[in-house]
Amino acid sequence: MMKTLHGGLRRLASLRLTLACLALAALIALAGDVGGWPTGTLIAVPFVILFVNLAAAIATHGALRTQAGLFGFHLALACLALLAAIDRLSGLSGHVEVTQGTAFDPTLVEARIGPLHPGSLERVRFVQGRFEIDYAPRLKRRETRSTVYVPDDTGNWHPVIVGDDTPLVVGDYRFYTSFNKGFAPLLSYIAADGTIHSGAVHLPSYPLNFFKQGNVWTIPGTGREVKLWLHVPEPVFVEDAPWRFRIPDDAVLVIMDGAQRYELRPGDTVPLGGGRLRYEELRTWMGYTIDYSPMIPWMLAAAATAALSLAWHAIGKLRRSDWDRATGAEERAHVR
Amino acid sequence: MFADGAWLPIALGLYFAAALSAVIAVWRGRSVSTAMTLLAIALACHTVAIALRWVRLGHGPYVDLFEVLSSNVWSLHLAVLIAALAFPRIRASLAAILPLLQILVIWLLTVPERDTLAPVTYDTVWLPIHVTLGKIFLGCTVVAVGLSIVILIRRHRPEAFSVLPRCRALDELAYRFVLIAFIFETLMLIAGAIWAQDAWGRYWAWDPLETWAFITWLAVAGYLHQRAVWKPSPVLNAILVVGIFTLAFSTFFGTPFISTAPHKGAI
Repeated sequence: MMKTLHGGLRRLASLRLTLACLALAALIALAGDVGGWPTGTLIAVPFVILFVNLAAAIATHGALRTQAGLFGFHLALACLALLAAIDRLSGLSGHVEVTQGTAFDPTLVEARIGPLHPGSLERVRFVQGRFEIDYAPRLKRRETRSTVYVPDDTGNWHPVIVGDDTPLVVGDYRFYTSFNKGFAPLLSYIAADGTIHSGAVHLPSYPLNFFKQGNVWTIPGTGREVKLWLHVPEPVFVEDAPWRFRIPDDAVLVIMDGAQRYELRPGDTVPLGGGRLRYEELRTWMGYTIDYSPMIPWMLAAAATAALSLAWHAIGKLRRSDWDRATGAEERAHVR
Repeated sequence: MFADGAWLPIALGLYFAAALSAVIAVWRGRSVSTAMTLLAIALACHTVAIALRWVRLGHGPYVDLFEVLSSNVWSLHLAVLIAALAFPRIRASLAAILPLLQILVIWLLTVPERDTLAPVTYDTVWLPIHVTLGKIFLGCTVVAVGLSIVILIRRHRPEAFSVLPRCRALDELAYRFVLIAFIFETLMLIAGAIWAQDAWGRYWAWDPLETWAFITWLAVAGYLHQRAVWKPSPVLNAILVVGIFTLAFSTFFGTPFISTAPHKGAI
């Protein structure tokens, strides 16, 4: 029984299996880059096999255990493979747009979610405030300072500044500002029966898409679509000088209902689809990236241990023998 | 004092002269000491050029192709000089590796030099750490490539580089340089992941540069393991080392400048 178990472990510890795992991981990474495969999730497969392979190698190869550097490297690498697999299977990586003056809505999040993700994004609460973005000449984006309001345990709301490298941390979720942000006309639609629908239409990211600040909007209750776009006579951005992202002063909202064209300024109302559309004001929206990677500290510790252990092994190997007297037998003794 | 742009052509000319001198010296069976002297002077001039530009722009050579190429021309030449000083018996391999590095020098001459602005996400201590580790990785690899080229040349001309040790010894030394390179590549990926976590809120996102850096890491790990599994000949190992360098070179010099990955920053 023990002999069979040992034989099985030795087969699992095969160096050829290690090479196969490395090749499979490379193929999956390549397929993700070239073919758009979901590398983040699929890579868990070779990582799990690699963990089993390395664990079996540690259990069966005496030489691996007697050389502290090699032992530490393989053990740490096995742990890293397992942690990376868990992280990818339970992780979340996504993005969301939040309109100024409104609350974060988890249903609007677009994300790649691991099958073991605990799914607690619903507990995240914050309200989007104003934001500032500085630009250097040639449209180079610099600092982003986005103010969000977060409730504490007593129900009071506190401002928090979020940036590209300063996250809003709620639970294990981290929200970072992204390059994605723009303008959002706030509209109210009073239907024929008196029902009022309010909402914001997010226009494409600005200034990246300054030339196409338009979108399609569906009239509530009718299914009819109208086109709308923001006409900005004087661009907000300055090509060759520093500038700060702001709402344009003289922007006009253009609505195209078939051949009928309306030009609206904040406060204007027009008849539309049997009801009335009121253009309340122009706001902004901010795009956030969201990340949930619970294993990060452990992965960092495992990766650092692996690198340092390998360094220890390498230093020992370099000290033990002269490179120009190395023989095949010597190599076999030092490498499993 | 010359401006930074004036020092660079002097350095590049001296690199070329060093390469030519090394080839002629080995061809005639003489010492490569003149080549090493020229290389040291070239590196000194290049150091001044990079330092002046760094001070003028306020950021290191990380942003565009010119800066990345220039700093790598510097670091790769520095790596081969250090290796030649540390291992006197392999100095003649300069004649194998320096001509290869002149491809980078010629490429650098064709890239326009413009003033750059570093993205906000580059303002972190982890970037220079990440870049330095990467340069050590590539530097160790390029030394291994020099030894591997000698092995490959000897396959067709066994009498070539007669002052250098036998192929098996060169193969062993190349292996050790790749082993050290692997450690620094691992540390580079760790530092890069910490930087990415700071800069973009994720330690790994499989963007093209990350994907190809990971594939390069796997390739080096595969090379180290295959030596233990199959005990291949020095020639096969040399081919693999050249392959690894080609892969690493394509990853670090090609991918960042043909993709729109966040490593470039965004508007």
